[in-house]
Amino acid sequence: MNSESKIDPKIIEEMLKFTKNVMDAPKLVSAPDEISLEVTPHDVVHELDKTRLLHYRPLTEKQHKTPLLISYALINRYHILDIQPEKSWVRNLLLQGFDLYMLDWGSPTSMDKYLDFDDYVNGYLDSAVEHIKNESSNEKISIQGYCTGGTIATAYAALHPENVKNYIATAPVIDGWRDTTVISNLAKHMDVDKMVDTIGNMPPEFMYYCFSVLKPFEQGIEKYVKFFKNIDNKKYVDNFLRVEKWLGDTPPIPGELFKQWIKDIYQDNLLIQNKMYVGGERIDLKKIDMPTFTQIAVGDHLVSPECSMPLHYAIGSEDKTLRMYPTGHVGMIASSLSQKKVLPELGAWLAERS
Amino acid sequence: MQEDSSKNITDYYKHLSLFWTDIMYLMSSKPQALTSTGPMRAFASNSKKITTELIEINEDLMGFNEYLTEYYKQLANAWEVAQKKVNLKAPEVPQDVEQIETFKRIWIDIFDNDFTELFDSKKFGENYGKLVSKELELTKHWNNITNVILQSANLPSKEEIDEVYKEMHSLKKRVGKLELELKKKEMSKK
Repeated sequence: MNSESKIDPKIIEEMLKFTKNVMDAPKLVSAPDEISLEVTPHDVVHELDKTRLLHYRPLTEKQHKTPLLISYALINRYHILDIQPEKSWVRNLLLQGFDLYMLDWGSPTSMDKYLDFDDYVNGYLDSAVEHIKNESSNEKISIQGYCTGGTIATAYAALHPENVKNYIATAPVIDGWRDTTVISNLAKHMDVDKMVDTIGNMPPEFMYYCFSVLKPFEQGIEKYVKFFKNIDNKKYVDNFLRVEKWLGDTPPIPGELFKQWIKDIYQDNLLIQNKMYVGGERIDLKKIDMPTFTQIAVGDHLVSPECSMPLHYAIGSEDKTLRMYPTGHVGMIASSLSQKKVLPELGAWLAERS
Repeated sequence: MQEDSSKNITDYYKHLSLFWTDIMYLMSSKPQALTSTGPMRAFASNSKKITTELIEINEDLMGFNEYLTEYYKQLANAWEVAQKKVNLKAPEVPQDVEQIETFKRIWIDIFDNDFTELFDSKKFGENYGKLVSKELELTKHWNNITNVILQSANLPSKEEIDEVYKEMHSLKKRVGKLELELKKKEMSKK
């Protein structure tokens, strides 16, 4: 009897409210399929195979002379950089007067299983850069590489320094042996030859498994509890669904590219040792001699700071800046912190050099 | 001893099935030749491959189960240790909303930390790598069986399709390089 009388009636109230929220959810919010992730207006100005080059329409009258191309990651899609107007990386840069392009890698199919680093670096990225150079009448452009897109952009900047005026590396995957994340632990024990030979491209489902072991209880349970608790908060729900939809939309990774990435970066750690080859050419990080801005998130559990930071010390550039932010991998590019701190710092640095 | 006897039994059944598949194939190959253009002829001539694959699937399945058991054992152990830590840190049953929130926070933090530690460990990485490797072996056998069926219907196998993909990839690269050279020549003319 005693223990019964101790139970706070608010607990029952909370439980009933939570149940009601779950029941009401379909009436209050859109299904993820009904949400469009395309936010900022853009034009598709160039296509090669399944890749598309997006050119964002300007939001300012005057723009900096040098265009900026974003090389997004291979995992998930570029929409996170433009997930909603008030947290949009893209919109912020446009409002700072940058002429902005985004390379959408597209969704590879089985027939793309032989695409490798060479195709991505010397093919797709180079083709996009050449297109922008012609369109904007610039001999060099600025490039930003995020996450695995940072690995590709790093290789590009080393192999084609003549095309890159400024390089921004945002949480790039560089030094696999120093990476302390769960992802790197799984990658180090992977029989990637057998995997690619047997199933071809790296399927999205495998990526989802890798994500599911990162903070499994916070991300797997608590996140959804919070969602239902906040079902009346339109702003919260809208942001949640957009990010969820983005998380659930990751394209396969071409088999050969995945094989080289796992072996050369995580298992043999060739890139940071200047021993990695792309298209028959060795990548020498010292050849990255243009102004370089490296952004690192201290709480990054996908690409640990120890994995990204060595780039800053390995490149040949004399004009180089390293910035660390108290946030996570996604927080660095799509949060209020990124709007208030990360982007203004990047913008100021880039404007001076554009 | 137990392992040896189970291997002997597997080998015995492997031999037995292959023996009868071979004998039946040899005994029936002549009458089958009458229908040499039909799918059954092609299927029958490859049925030995299916038998071999099925036997090997069984062997790999045993290995897969071993690593899968270890996988769940590691998860269960991590759960047990984490729950003990939670019990030590929050021994009282929560009585109000605030206490429930605090308990939940403690539970999530401890479980996330302990499970991340497990997923980050060498023993987990190694076992997981072997588990995925065995799963891929099973996929390979399934691919091989599917190839037999595809060939019986005169359709290209996975390897043959892969060859086409490889050739296309190589051709695309060559065309790309040629286009680039052409462009450079045009530019130099200007």
